Amino acid sequence: MNILPWDLSAIPSRFFLFGEAAWYTVQITGLGVLLGLVIGLIVALGRLSSYRPISAASRAYIFLIRGTPLLVQLFIVYYGLTSIVTIAPIPSAVIALGVHNGAYIAEIFRGSIQSIHYGQMEAARSLGMTKGRAMRRIILPQAFKRAVPSLGNQLIIALKDSSLASTIAVPELMLRGRQMGSSTFMYMEMFIIVGIWYLLMTSVLSYIIHRIETRLKVSDRD
Amino acid sequence: MTKKQEPKRPNKKKEAIDPHAPFLRIEKLNKFYGDLHVLKNISLSVKKGEVVVIIGASGSGKSTLLRCVNFLEKSKDGKIYIEGKRIRNQEKQLNKVRQDLGMVFQHFNLFPHMTVIQNVMEGMVQVKGMPKDDAREKALDLLEQVGLSDKAEVYPAMLSGGQKQRVAIARALAMDPKIMLFDEPTSALDPELVGEVLTVMTDLAKRGMTMLVVTHEMWFAKEVADRVVFMDEGIILEEAAPEKMFSAPEHDRTLEFLKQVLPPQEE
Repeated sequence: MNILPWDLSAIPSRFFLFGEAAWYTVQITGLGVLLGLVIGLIVALGRLSSYRPISAASRAYIFLIRGTPLLVQLFIVYYGLTSIVTIAPIPSAVIALGVHNGAYIAEIFRGSIQSIHYGQMEAARSLGMTKGRAMRRIILPQAFKRAVPSLGNQLIIALKDSSLASTIAVPELMLRGRQMGSSTFMYMEMFIIVGIWYLLMTSVLSYIIHRIETRLKVSDRD
Repeated sequence: MTKKQEPKRPNKKKEAIDPHAPFLRIEKLNKFYGDLHVLKNISLSVKKGEVVVIIGASGSGKSTLLRCVNFLEKSKDGKIYIEGKRIRNQEKQLNKVRQDLGMVFQHFNLFPHMTVIQNVMEGMVQVKGMPKDDAREKALDLLEQVGLSDKAEVYPAMLSGGQKQRVAIARALAMDPKIMLFDEPTSALDPELVGEVLTVMTDLAKRGMTMLVVTHEMWFAKEVADRVVFMDEGIILEEAAPEKMFSAPEHDRTLEFLKQVLPPQEE
């Protein structure tokens, strides 16, 4: 009866066997991006610092991390560091995703901070605010708002990149797909399930990001 | 002769400061942009309660001079004294001194992510550490003073240019400044909105506020200023009471400038 060489009915019947793995994907992505946001903010402010060693260190960080593959960074954290410290697969994935996304998020923050008109800083300073307070109260809230679309984009990229964690035995979606494929020999069906799970999650993320963007528009005209 | 008397507040328990010393004194200020010498050995004083208006062509250095007073621009040399005290380019001192120098910008620079009243409260709460309720009350008073109490809860994006500038004035006044610096406050406004801002400024002058104003509004200079300063190519070419400046300036260059900016005289 089947024209296709695959048993597509396996897709709905096995779909929810991937739920736990999807939850791992969500967790390593979420924690990784959270770490990336912290690193990104620090590195962005570092890059903008007028103190040379700090801005140079921040530039070096971005240069090294952005210029090397996530897979290499993942292996360095998981395998490479074993001679010093052994890190379990899930923390390794979170660290590598955080460090990796931190470099990209730093550039997103730097761009959005620099896009705020210098008059805002001048107005804040002329009220007697310190540089730090002006940054915290006046510049960053506006910069975050401008960063939201790019951050959303980065979050979606991070979610998909998290599939690389399957290579260090994190029981996330991709690894689950490979395992299910090899135990049932229905590789196509299982990877279609994996694809659908990713698509579902990125769709939900896109929707949430869109909602946040709309809500942040309150202070803009129209 | 002057329309306005200097307010005579007793100078209580202020340490050894000469009561006749000018409130603001700028001494031999030089400023360069690269090789361009934009301010050449400028000296200028403003007494307490005095309204000094700086006029001059674009590029004459008048805005730069104003911005040097609160160190938004750093001058190469020269000294600035506030109430007889030398102001140095040190963060700590500047953060304190700037509270006494209310600054109003050409492009308003309101904080777009805050409502009007939050804009006015920000300095009081964050810098002065005032309790929010007190700050709100004071902010409402100030907004009423500039005629915008009904706009307290809207965001700046909903305001006209004139309204924005009035909020900016209220925001500066919230810090209880001892002097107000106006950097071309009406230059970015549509002509029909200039009046409302000048009215607020005139009102401030009448209440005895010390003001240093850079403007192209000759009407304001004529009617409100105690002294008018004409700047040309980085120097103060002349300074005089407005009556004298506008009727019998000493320099040809001044006359030429005034001819260009003033409507032809009927007399």
